[in-house]
Amino acid sequence: MELSTIKDAFDRVTKKQKLSSAKTQEMLDQIRQEIESALDKMQSANNSDPEHNYKAVLNELKANLLKIAPLSQMEGTQKELNVALSKYGKLLEKYFNPDISKAYRNIDVDIHTLNQIIANHFYRQELFDIGDHFVSVVGEPESASTMKAPFLEMYQILEAIKNQNLEPALNWASMNSDKLAQSGSDIVLKLHSMQFVKILQNGTRDEALHYARTHLSPFASSHMAEIQKLMACLLWTGKLDRSPYHALLSGSNWDKLAEDLKREFCNLLGQSYNSPLSVTVAAGVQVLPPLLKFMNVMAGKKQEWQTMNQLPVPVELDREFQFHSIFVCPVSKEQATEDNPPMLMSCGHVLCKQSILKMSKNHTKMFKCPYCPFDIDAVQCRQLYF
Amino acid sequence: MEMDSLSNGNNTTATASTPATVSPDSSAATARATPTPPPSSTGPQLTEALKLEHQFLRVPFEHYKKTIRANHRAVEKEVSAVISGVTDAASADFSPDDAVNHLNSLVSRLQGLKRKLEEGSRAENLQAQKCRARLDHLESADGENLSEWNSTRLKRILVDYMLRMSYYDTAVKLAECSNIQDLVDIDVFQEAKKVIEALQNKDVAPALAWCADNKSRLKKSKSKLEFQLRLQEFIELVRAENNMRAITYARKYLAPWGATHMKELQRVLATLAFKRDTECATYKVLFEAKQWDFLVDQFKQEFCKLYGMTMEPLLNIYLQAGLSALKTPYCYKDDCTKEDPLSQEAFRTIAMPLPYSKQHHSKLVCYITKELMDTENPPQVLPNGYVYSTKALEEMAKKNDGRITCPRTGSEYNYTELVKAYIS
Repeated sequence: MELSTIKDAFDRVTKKQKLSSAKTQEMLDQIRQEIESALDKMQSANNSDPEHNYKAVLNELKANLLKIAPLSQMEGTQKELNVALSKYGKLLEKYFNPDISKAYRNIDVDIHTLNQIIANHFYRQELFDIGDHFVSVVGEPESASTMKAPFLEMYQILEAIKNQNLEPALNWASMNSDKLAQSGSDIVLKLHSMQFVKILQNGTRDEALHYARTHLSPFASSHMAEIQKLMACLLWTGKLDRSPYHALLSGSNWDKLAEDLKREFCNLLGQSYNSPLSVTVAAGVQVLPPLLKFMNVMAGKKQEWQTMNQLPVPVELDREFQFHSIFVCPVSKEQATEDNPPMLMSCGHVLCKQSILKMSKNHTKMFKCPYCPFDIDAVQCRQLYF
Repeated sequence: MEMDSLSNGNNTTATASTPATVSPDSSAATARATPTPPPSSTGPQLTEALKLEHQFLRVPFEHYKKTIRANHRAVEKEVSAVISGVTDAASADFSPDDAVNHLNSLVSRLQGLKRKLEEGSRAENLQAQKCRARLDHLESADGENLSEWNSTRLKRILVDYMLRMSYYDTAVKLAECSNIQDLVDIDVFQEAKKVIEALQNKDVAPALAWCADNKSRLKKSKSKLEFQLRLQEFIELVRAENNMRAITYARKYLAPWGATHMKELQRVLATLAFKRDTECATYKVLFEAKQWDFLVDQFKQEFCKLYGMTMEPLLNIYLQAGLSALKTPYCYKDDCTKEDPLSQEAFRTIAMPLPYSKQHHSKLVCYITKELMDTENPPQVLPNGYVYSTKALEEMAKKNDGRITCPRTGSEYNYTELVKAYIS
């Protein structure tokens, strides 16, 4: 079933609704017309025997209204509308999962922790006003929003870069030069290179040369090729666009620089590049469908589920969610733990410790590797650290 | 697709690195940073993600149905009144002038109804539009704009959270700044807001009106909300020592519920014998202000049920599932990568009581490059048992004359001392 089917069903609903509306209006008009014609008759029959005529007109009106039967006519179209509405509702329940809370465990969540997560998420996503508003509404102390100040700084730097102004970024880089050097990042070089190119375009050759001598030379030994390329650009001061290095002027370089800076900034802060809330919710979206399917099939196991230590269904998340190495023993299908680590056999295949113990009957005999016909001595197996 | 595992493209090509990653002469540091994660654009996975959006479509639909029902009821009532007005005029003894006046009043009544109907029609159309806008939004999710669609989804989830927690202003601000007013249910929650605020001010009237409005559906779901509201009013009368009125009230409003909820009724009626400052535990609790909070919760539950919403905020549901999916024992170690949400204290706290993730296939991540170690980039074992990817080790060896240093222990070895591991 596709969304188009559902859209069609909804179109039918709106069609019936319009019909019903139209019918109602029609009925109202008819009733009004009858009454108004009765009124006219009453006015015209004013002279001859008024009493008798009024009664007759009224009775005639009553009879006419009965004949039109507005209520039952409206009921007819309303019924058709109700059928269409009901069909649409049933379609929704059939195509979509009507209750995604089936796998929810009723555990109390500390509301302060959650509010903190939300507030920090807003600050990370540059929604500072909303973050502030939220923090004041929920009454968290300012200190809870630890992310505000650093990310404010980050977005200010990024905003400047968007306007091709590298000053804030260079200041930040020099203030954190130690930490950046320690982490082995080359963002400082990238920033200076970009500034150098900017000077080449707008300044004199001497200025560029001076800048290179001051800021690029420290990187000469580690990034020889890069520096040589930049030095060569000196020959085209002011006309870089006609040089073989015109790609350096591309606007996308600025975008890339901004992205690299964001990455380094977050890294220095001990934060992830993506908002952890975004990542977690995205992972949730991937794991819910198979989990809910399991809940539906294993209806009886609901009680067990509330206390399970591990998810009952294996879920292969996308590459972006794999932060740790997970080794699953091909023999026992169990995940390796500290007590049951992966071991390398002399043939190059890997099993978990307990499987090796079992197969070698506690180190007493040789066994054949399940993958290749190698004879394995359990004692020679080495523990692996991923 | 088998039921027990949702496979993804495990090979690195499915999640192709964007140009933003590793440049040829980069140091180990930038190689360390993970590539900007491209969103899951595989067809079946997207379909499954969309199927989680029942609430998204159902809420405006329920609202739409409700408006249609209310409009129809109004029409029925007025038309019946007009017709019986005619019948009365025909059988009664009106003077000619009276008859004319009577008929004129009926005509103006019809005109009033027609105006009201036009308004009602406009409301219905707006709501139909909203339903359709949401269908369009679901259809618009495709591989191209997926990361933006996902970002919108998170905003929708956050607005839902704000509304459930009654942070209405924040919800409105968030919806406005991202222009997603059509995709969230602020208007529906405004209805709840009135009732909740009244209850918090110890006023049951709006709540009772809401129950009357939704009588048939509440009856179908065997809701006892109305009963509980009436009980509370009774208790308030007893608290004010208005015993005579309390008894009259009970006779009128509580007695009908006696057949189905006798025990509860008896318990509350017994408060007549005790006073509001009673020390008897069973009855003391009934006089506490907490009872009003309980009523608010009950109302919220009935409200969500009626509109096809989950009882818990969407945020909690997705967060819980996501945390479990990411939770491994390694997340709680000190050297857990900062890219993992579970390296953060707040997330660790919430994830504590949750189950761990489960995987059926080994997935190995190189400590140095954070890339997958698979057949294209196989893992290699150092003499000290530590494992890194071939790519990382080859590059290290290239830069250091064939020597490699284990980043975690500092031990040095020759590239030739490494052994390949074969992991399926």
